[in-house]
Amino acid sequence: MTLTQKRILILAIVIVTAAVLGRLAVRAVLNVLLGGTLFGGNFL
Amino acid sequence: MRRERKETKEKKEKRRGRVMWGVIYVAAFLVAFGGSVAFKMTYNPFGDEFSVDWNDSVGRVYNDIAYGEGEANKFDLYLPADDTKSSYGLVVYLHAGGFTSGDKSGDAEILEWLCQRGYVTAGINYTLVSEEHPDASVYSQSMEIKESIPYVIAEAEKLGYPIDEMAISGGSAGCCLALLYAYRDAKTSPVPVKMVFGAVGPSSFYPEDWKCYGFDLGTEESDAAAREMFGAMAGKELRAEFGTPEYDEEIKDISALLWIDENSVPTLVAYGKYDKIQPYEGSKRLLAALEENHVPHDYYLCEHSGHGLQNDNKVYGKYMRKITEYLDAYMPIDETM
Repeated sequence: MTLTQKRILILAIVIVTAAVLGRLAVRAVLNVLLGGTLFGGNFL
Repeated sequence: MRRERKETKEKKEKRRGRVMWGVIYVAAFLVAFGGSVAFKMTYNPFGDEFSVDWNDSVGRVYNDIAYGEGEANKFDLYLPADDTKSSYGLVVYLHAGGFTSGDKSGDAEILEWLCQRGYVTAGINYTLVSEEHPDASVYSQSMEIKESIPYVIAEAEKLGYPIDEMAISGGSAGCCLALLYAYRDAKTSPVPVKMVFGAVGPSSFYPEDWKCYGFDLGTEESDAAAREMFGAMAGKELRAEFGTPEYDEEIKDISALLWIDENSVPTLVAYGKYDKIQPYEGSKRLLAALEENHVPHDYYLCEHSGHGLQNDNKVYGKYMRKITEYLDAYMPIDETM
């Protein structure tokens, strides 16, 4: 694997992680306000 | 010397590359995070399944029709475009807001959606508990709703839409008031009440259920806090011991489940298991009362959600679809009339 390939793979992981964390952040805020679990139920 | 210079240049380029990629990673993280937040906050999993493109071909709405002296005593009336029927079913939807906020305009989408199905629909405001109205209570609000129904029906009739049956519904505080009307006041309604539906509405007021407020601790302080809050909601001082028939009698004015009997109307409700605003435990009492009295009912539990039913789109969708099934079963529209 070349250095550039490695960097693109890391970039993809960063993007996916950020997307999941963003979704979880909204869910966490709503859960604090209204109640609810962080995991389970709808993913989107 | 030349070799050294070449090595330094390579090192510099490497460092520049590392910095550049570091910036790219951070930027990508921020963009993806922000996009994900925006998407999560705006995504509607149901598309236009429970909404309608409202225009004159669907119906028309009359806003702020008065039903009493109070500033808040107003309702919006949605009339279907087809005005040729000899009678119509009325669906009332009462707004949420913890008895202290909210407005009928917030429910335009569901009122329009139900109107598009051929029903006359109404969103009714009630006097909210506030500094200007410190004496308002759940009880006074429920009485305003009771007083408003004849006005809604009369206004619909005046506009050429005679009402011969009705359903009442609401969200949260509105659901609490809808359940009260359905179980406590239906017999005073000018037209038969055929069904009630709603989400996350409190219907029972026992301190042991209200864990989310710490009323279940059984201490003097927790009992006093529960007594104060429930008393404010009931609009009177509560004197009886919790858990006694005397307490049930005192709280009955605002506790919908205490009015349930074998003649109660079919009921469709949805609750969130982790609700922090009103307790899920209370909904189990409601369910037990419906079962005990053999009242036709459907109870949807959002296992991962709180007061917003926000983490269980699948269950919420089922609840919304069940509304149409209930309307078709208990308040069908006669296409021949």
